[in-house]
Amino acid sequence: MKKVLILLGCPESPSQTPLALYTSHKLTKMGYDVTVASTPSAAKLLEVSDTEEFYVQQKVDLEKCLEDLEEKDYDILVGFVHKDAAVSYFVTFYHILNARSFAIVFEKDADILEKFLSDLKENTDATLISARAYHNPTPLRVKIDRAFKELED
Amino acid sequence: MSFCLEIYLQQSDDYEILISKSGFKEAKSVIETHSPKVLYVKPGAKVLGARIIGIPPIPIGIDESKSRITLPYTKPCHGTSVVDLPVEKEEIDKVKAISVNPLKK
Repeated sequence: MKKVLILLGCPESPSQTPLALYTSHKLTKMGYDVTVASTPSAAKLLEVSDTEEFYVQQKVDLEKCLEDLEEKDYDILVGFVHKDAAVSYFVTFYHILNARSFAIVFEKDADILEKFLSDLKENTDATLISARAYHNPTPLRVKIDRAFKELED
Repeated sequence: MSFCLEIYLQQSDDYEILISKSGFKEAKSVIETHSPKVLYVKPGAKVLGARIIGIPPIPIGIDESKSRITLPYTKPCHGTSVVDLPVEKEEIDKVKAISVNPLKK
């Protein structure tokens, strides 16, 4: 079974937690072994939203995960990017893992969003799933569905 | 026992924060301006026991005369800070060993 690491950023954006649950569940149903790496605060949001661990079965602390991470530990990296620090984290995980990668990039401000996308394009070969979004997860959900079609086979 | 940056920052007060809660590019510029020598490492390289987070090439400032290192320190909710702190000479040698390019200055 192929392993997926979902990398969460700061949980400040309301779209992140529902999209993380959605993405984890979608990939699990597709047959992937999914682990979510997050800060303790982002993990609390997941725990309260998913008390029976129906959507996310495996969680790991972000810093602990990074400390122990080695190339090929995961087959696919999916990262949520909505802050400058999240770009740095995603690029770092990408370079350590050297795996097929998807960056889910969202921001309210078009110029900041473009800067995030530019940095990711310059420094990774990741598939970029992006939208001007903050509260509304629907545009990204539609684009995630489209992008993950290639993982169905 | 090897040096651990996380524990050092919690237990010491002889380090200096040159910039905090900034973007990575601003932090990179601060290191390149501040330090007499700059080495560059890959994302995820271990310096002072911690993975260095950022966009390549990541600068690590070196001041050999004062035996100090200047490095970026990123947290998901707080952005990137730049920390300048005293280290043993062997830690500077370890950075030299993993650097991906010659000294810039």
